[in-house]
Order: sequence, then structure tokens, then C-alpha cells
Amino acid sequence: MEILTDLIRSWFGPDKMSDQAVFITVASTMATIMFIVMALCALIFTWAERKVAGFIQSRYGPMRTGRWHGWAQAVADMLKILGKEDIIPAEANRFFFSFAPILVLLGSLLAWAAIPWSPGFVSADLDLGLFYIFAVSSLVIVGLLMAGWSSNNKWALYGAARGAAQMISYEIPLALACIPVVMYTGSLNTTDIVIAQQGGMLNWFVFRNPFLFVAFIMYFIASIAETNRGPFDMPETESELVAGYHTEYTGMRFAFFFLSEYANLFLVSLIAAMVFLGGWWAPIPGLDFAPALTFIIKGVLMVLLNMWVRWTLPRVRVDQLMHLCWKVMIPISLICVVGAGIWMMLSGQAGA
Amino acid sequence: MEQKAIYELLAGKIGAAALGFNDEGVESYAEVAPEKIAEAALFLRDEEQLGFNQLMCLSGIDWDGFDENGKGKSVAILGYSADGKPETSDRVGEGDLGVAYSLYSHEKKHKFTMRVRVSRERAVVPTVIDVWSTAGWHEREAWDLLGIRFEGHPDLRRMLLEEDWVGHPLRKDYQMPGQWEQVPLEGKDMTASPFTPTSTPTTGPTPGAEG
Amino acid sequence: MATEETKMNSGWADQDQVPGIKSELMELNMGPQHPATHGVLRLLLETDGEIVYKVTPVLGYLHRCAEKIAEGINYKQWVIYTDRFDYLAPMCCNHAYVTAVEKLMDVEVPERAEHLRVVAAELSRIASHLIALATFGLDMGAWTPLLYCFREREVILDLLERIAGGRMLYNYMVPGGVRYDVPDERWVSDVLEFITMLETKKIKDYNQLLSYNKIFIGRLGNVAVISKQDAFDYGCTGPVLRGSGVKFDCRKDDPYSVYHKFDFDVPVGMGEMGTVGDCWDRYMVRVREIEEACKIVRQALDSLPGGSCQAIELKKPVKVPAGAAYSRTESAKGEMGHYIISDGGQTPFRNKVRSPSFCNLQVIEKVGVGQMVSDLVAFVGSLDIVLGEIDR
Repeated sequence: MEILTDLIRSWFGPDKMSDQAVFITVASTMATIMFIVMALCALIFTWAERKVAGFIQSRYGPMRTGRWHGWAQAVADMLKILGKEDIIPAEANRFFFSFAPILVLLGSLLAWAAIPWSPGFVSADLDLGLFYIFAVSSLVIVGLLMAGWSSNNKWALYGAARGAAQMISYEIPLALACIPVVMYTGSLNTTDIVIAQQGGMLNWFVFRNPFLFVAFIMYFIASIAETNRGPFDMPETESELVAGYHTEYTGMRFAFFFLSEYANLFLVSLIAAMVFLGGWWAPIPGLDFAPALTFIIKGVLMVLLNMWVRWTLPRVRVDQLMHLCWKVMIPISLICVVGAGIWMMLSGQAGA
Repeated sequence: MEQKAIYELLAGKIGAAALGFNDEGVESYAEVAPEKIAEAALFLRDEEQLGFNQLMCLSGIDWDGFDENGKGKSVAILGYSADGKPETSDRVGEGDLGVAYSLYSHEKKHKFTMRVRVSRERAVVPTVIDVWSTAGWHEREAWDLLGIRFEGHPDLRRMLLEEDWVGHPLRKDYQMPGQWEQVPLEGKDMTASPFTPTSTPTTGPTPGAEG
Repeated sequence: MATEETKMNSGWADQDQVPGIKSELMELNMGPQHPATHGVLRLLLETDGEIVYKVTPVLGYLHRCAEKIAEGINYKQWVIYTDRFDYLAPMCCNHAYVTAVEKLMDVEVPERAEHLRVVAAELSRIASHLIALATFGLDMGAWTPLLYCFREREVILDLLERIAGGRMLYNYMVPGGVRYDVPDERWVSDVLEFITMLETKKIKDYNQLLSYNKIFIGRLGNVAVISKQDAFDYGCTGPVLRGSGVKFDCRKDDPYSVYHKFDFDVPVGMGEMGTVGDCWDRYMVRVREIEEACKIVRQALDSLPGGSCQAIELKKPVKVPAGAAYSRTESAKGEMGHYIISDGGQTPFRNKVRSPSFCNLQVIEKVGVGQMVSDLVAFVGSLDIVLGEIDR
């Protein structure tokens, strides 16, 4: 952020621009970069998902477009989807129908602001960073409900109702799992959380104590549910609800949902890397020559883990899903919070 | 148990409604009066020695033009004229309609076949849905395709055809409508051999194609 | 008014007592275009949230009136229509029809032809069961087994193509025999090799990946239980009946063809993961039937006799003496029956087809009530229906 500010100031001369103008320029530049990164990673991950699925299912996946392992397939698909007719069902509520995809995309886009890519490089270095991320990503639920209801399609309504119930429920274990880390750090600032994990793999929060390890697993499971991916893909459930809340969407609007799904996927993986897996720090101290790259690699590995789970397991039923959340994961997460606290007290790390 | 013995047990129960037993062909069958079929079915299922707990098959039959020599074939549509109109024989169907019940007992491992015949004018047979639930769909199918009305069936709607279809296709005197809901139905001449080319086209131009 | 009753019993009607709130059941159209209905089946549901209160199947989207066509063409020509009933196991349908015609004709079929028929039908059965596992897994959200099962099915299609000439619709059996003999000796060894691979490796894979998966069991155990009584009452046959714990198989209990010569078991549902007759039992019966089918194929090929494989010359039309008979065989989905009435001519006077899926599906009207929508999907999947033979 500071680097960019300095850059702009030096470009235009120190006194030519007011502070507000500089801020707006910097913010919009960052937003554009974030959006492009997000769109790009959605593009790459759709291709990667198909290759991973192909690998698991003993087939190749896309092989033709762009010669090398069909790398251009995702680009071609994206171009195709942008050229599709935009259909709004006759009986749909037009305002909500058109607004919902934007809201969904906004929810996942906003959260990216607080991700610390490398030391000093974070779009919004908020004191309540982690809290902010969880808060804005809840916007997705509103968009999802809007989409399902306004489509005037019963299957979409089912998908939206299921999705809202699921995402609201799983926010709780998701946030609870992060609380022990916040207790250790004593801060919600995302940069502080990463800095607290300096000094090799053993200082990463996931390996600090057994409760944190359990909390990491809770976080991982909840994050799958939060991104609506298998085995918790209740809002979509292709075989039951046709396509769930986005049944009626076409073209660009559908692309927004699609984009947001993959952006969310990468986002939760990055948060996992940031909160539990040491952020930009390399596993061995002294190898931190490319912090941003290290961070992204960790995120990508988490995404691949997510894909592995998705293509292996069958889907749970909606009541089993809620049972898992309220009767299993929330109690365990609470125990983790208490346990990690006691561990901190006993090992003399409290108040650090 | 022997089929003949089963028939005798059945005849003992329903008396004169057991019209006869035929074991000349490949498969023997009992002829039962339609009014008593539900009673006969219940007896066959619940009688301890019989225990026919599975209705394997319920087939509706149109006996119109049946002739043991294979000569009495009756096809309502003789062919299609050049303008696509079906040439029909105008023959009004005669002969009875019938239903055949093929039963099997899982405990006793024996089979039995019952047949009923009803007149074309009053094709009504009591339902056996209370005895075997599987009869529900079979009877609906027989009603749909052959127009045999099953008295007492709680849900006797068409099964395979559209709700508003006219006629019962498996009847021998059924004539295919030229169109249904403005959709032209292109019939194919089923009497001609598919291997010998005919001079007349089997399907004519669709109505309104010239305009 | 079954719906009213279920409403009252489940406490659903209580919601109507809340002043100012009027609630009603939601009508939901599942199909005819729906991924879980395995074709063009339409289920008209009445639901309250996730709970289904009434299921009304609407059929006929694939109706071709094959029975009427049968009355217009001769016995041999109609074999191709049987291919299109259960298009996932066409050989079984071929077999059912030719068995019925031969029963009326009272013709002696050469042993070699019978053996080849059994091999073809059992391979078809394996293919059909593989699809059943695959699509069932897909209904449950497991994508990967789908591809695995299709991979193995592909081999079967190739093998059947080599003997019958077609990949999906074979028209292989004719009254009095089969159309073609074994193409070459390699075919037999290839089949045996495939069977061995399936038995030793692949079924183990499926079991590890899907059958004993904890989520999968959680989805299927105790779900949509068909009691023995219901199964008899609704005329369920095949894996659905056996899943309910009834040891009945036409191949054993009402033998046809040369099945009496072979040694195989009839797997039944045992309620290992819940109640006898739940979805998992029906699923597992199919997995075990693949193994049994493998056994039969091996025995049939090992004892393949020599000689001709047609009793009637292929080009000669078949004439069936007057009479009527119901004949049934065990197709992949259950009891495939034909009630043929012949008037002594070259075409049947009446040919009624009793298809297993038609009868199996009917039970959904009873068992489907009170299920969740997701369980209904599991239930339809576990019935393993094929619309081609339901609508005929």
C-alpha cells in the first residue's frame, strides 16, 4: 500500500495531488488488480479442477484447446459464456434477479481486500481484518437468497433455502476455529497474525498445539461447506436440485456466480494459509525470498486438497449436514477454544 | 400344486362363476366370470394351499377377429393414399375384450392363469387392486390401451398416453387420428412388408405443407 | 385422501392452526427433465419443505406402443424392439422375448446357442448393473465411480460388438438360436480375462470407493425401506425384491435356458447397514450380482459345447402355433415377462410385455411418501429404472 502510494506520488510530483486523490487512485488501482487476480484465478482453477477431476477419474480432462493440456479451454469457455443470451424468466423479479449476482460477487470480492500477500502488501490493513473478512463474505448469503427467490423457480428456491441455512450455520465453526489463533496473536489484524508465525514450520499455528491442529481441521471442513463444494454442495446438488439457486441464470450473470464460487474457494484457502499455515513465511527459516509466491503456493495447495475431497466423496444429506455442524463441529470448535486457552496458560504463552 | 387341482379349489369357492378349464395349449388357463374375478383373486391369494402373492402380469386382450388359423387378422388402417389420408376399413370391431391374470406363489412355487371375457359394449371388470397393489398400474395401462374399465379402481387415468387422447390404440379396430392437437401424426403402413418397396409413399405430405 | 391423512399424522396440519398463517403443500415437478429421474420420468411431488407428502409418477414420455407394432410385424422382426426396452441390458430383453416365442413354438434350441445367449445376457447384466452403480453414485454426488464403471462397461460393449455387431442395440438372438457364432477363439479368452479382472480388482475398487464409504452408508442405510410384504404386493422383482430379503431369482426358481447347469448364488439384502430392504441393500445386491454373473459367464464359456447355433434357418420366417403363454426371464432389472397370444400366423395376435421397471417403480407411490426430497432421489436411484421399458 505504502509502496504504491509512494510510487504515485513520485510519478505525479509530491505536491500535485491531494491526499484524497492519491487515496482514491491507490484504492481503485488495488481494486482493479484484485479483480483481475480473482478473475484469473477463477479461470485457472476451472481448468485445474477439470484436470484434477480427470486425473482422479482416470481420464485426461481437456486436451485440445490451446495444444498444451488444453490450457485455453477455460478461456474459450469464458468467452463462450460471455456471448450467451441473457435470459430473465418472465415471472422473475427483475430487480433482485439482476442484482443478486453482483451482490454475490461483491461479497467474495470485498473480502480479498484484507488478504496480506507479502509484508506491507495488503489492500486494506485493517485492525479488524479477520473479522472484516468473515463479515463481508456473509453478503454472499444475501445474494444467494435473492437469486433463489427472485428466479421464481421452486428448485432455485430450494437451493437458496438450503444454501442460506448451510452457510449461516457453517460461519460459526469457521469463525470459532480461528478464535484460538486470535487468542495467540492478540490481534485481528491479518498482517499481525502472519507475523506471529515467523520462524519456520513449527511456529505455524497449525503445529503450535494439538487444539490448534484440530481447529485447523474444523476450519477446513467448514470452509468446504462455506464455499458450497462437494461433499457439502447443498445449494447446487446437481442430481437433486438441477442446478440449485442459479438454475435460471445464463451468460454473464451465471459467470458471476461461477467466478464468485472459485474466488471464494481461493479466498478460504488463502485464509487457511494465512491463519494456520504461516502466511508468507516459508517452511524453513531463511527461504523467505518470495513471500507472495510462498503464500500463493500454500493457497493453491489448499485448493487442490479441496478438489481432491470434492471428487472423492459422495454428498451428505441436508439434515446430516446440519447435524454435523451444530452437534459435532461447533462443540469441537468450542472445546478447541477452551483447550487452546488452557494450553496457553500452562505453557506460559498467555498474554504474548 | 397341479393347475387342475387349483382350478377345482377355485371352482369350489366361486361355483358357477368358474366357467371352465382349458389345458390343451402350452399353458393351461381357467375361464372365470368377470363379476366374480375380485372374489376369485382374493381367494387365490388368501387360501392357505394356494398363496398366490404375486400378480406377475395382467394383460388386456382384444379378441376381435381371433381365428385359430391365423386368417382373421384385422387391421383397421389398410394403407395410406397419396395425399396422406389413412385408408380405413370402416370395420366396427366385434368380438370380446379380455383380461388375463398370470399369478405366481412365492411360497408354493406354482403358477396359475385366469382369463375373463367381457363384451365390447360393456367392457367392465372389477378391479383386483385391493388384492395385489401392482394391479393398479397394469389396470390403468389396460384401460389406456384397450379401453377396459376396471370398476372400483381409485385412480383410473390414462397411463402411457396423453390425458386427452381419443381412443384405445391396442383395440383391433383402432384408427389412428390424422392429427392430435394440431400436430400431424404421420402414420406408417404396417401391413406392407418393410423389405419390398411400394410405389405409393407410406407417408403423405403433411397437411398445409403446400400453403 | 392419503395426503390429508399423512398431514394429520405428521403434525403438519398444526401449522394451519397458527392464526394469520395459511400454509399449503408445494407442488413440485421432478422431471421430465431432471438429472435424478434417469430418463424422462416425471414425478409430481407434494412437499412441505424437504418432506414429500405425495408422489405421483407420470409416465408415457417415451411411449412407442411397441405392443401395437408387434401385431403388425412378424416374430423375428420384433426382436429389435426388445432391444429398445431396457437399452442398458438389451441382451436380457432379447433373451426374454425369444424364450417366450420358443415356449409357444416348442422348439429345441442348440446347446451352443443357449450357452452363447447366457454369456451375452450375463455380460449385458453386468453392464446394466455397472450403470446402476455409476448413476446411483452420481445421484449421491459421487462423480468418480461413474467414470470407473463406464470404463469397465466400455469393455463389455466392445466384447458384445465383436460377437453381435452392434454396440448398444444388438438384435442378436432370434427365435431358435443366435444370429452369429463366436467370432474367434480369442473372443472367449478375452471375455474370461475381463471377467477375472472384474472379479479380482474392480469390484474391490468400487466397494472401497463407494459401497463402504461412510457418507454413502449414512445416505442409504434405513432409507426408503421396502418391506417384504410391500415388495410382493407391488410385484417388485429382481434386485428390488432380493434387496428386501426374498431369495427369489427366475434363473433359479423358474429355470429357463441352461441356467440350471450353472452353479451360482442369489444374493439377498441382509440389512447390514440398517434395515432389510433399505437403499443400501438394493445397491449391494447389484454389486454382488455382478460377481455371480461373472461366475455364470465363466462356467458357460468353459463348458461351451460345439455344434450349430441356429435351430431354424435365419432367413425362414417363424410360424408359431396357436396358443397363449406367459413366459418370464430374469432381466437385469427383474422379471421380464411376455404374454404372447398367437393365432397360428406369422405375427403375434397380442404381445403383452411385463417389464420389471414398470412394476418396481410403482412402489414409489407408497414408500416415497414421508421421505425427504434427497432420499427420494436415492430411492429412485436404488430402484434402477429404465424408462425405455416402463413406457414401452
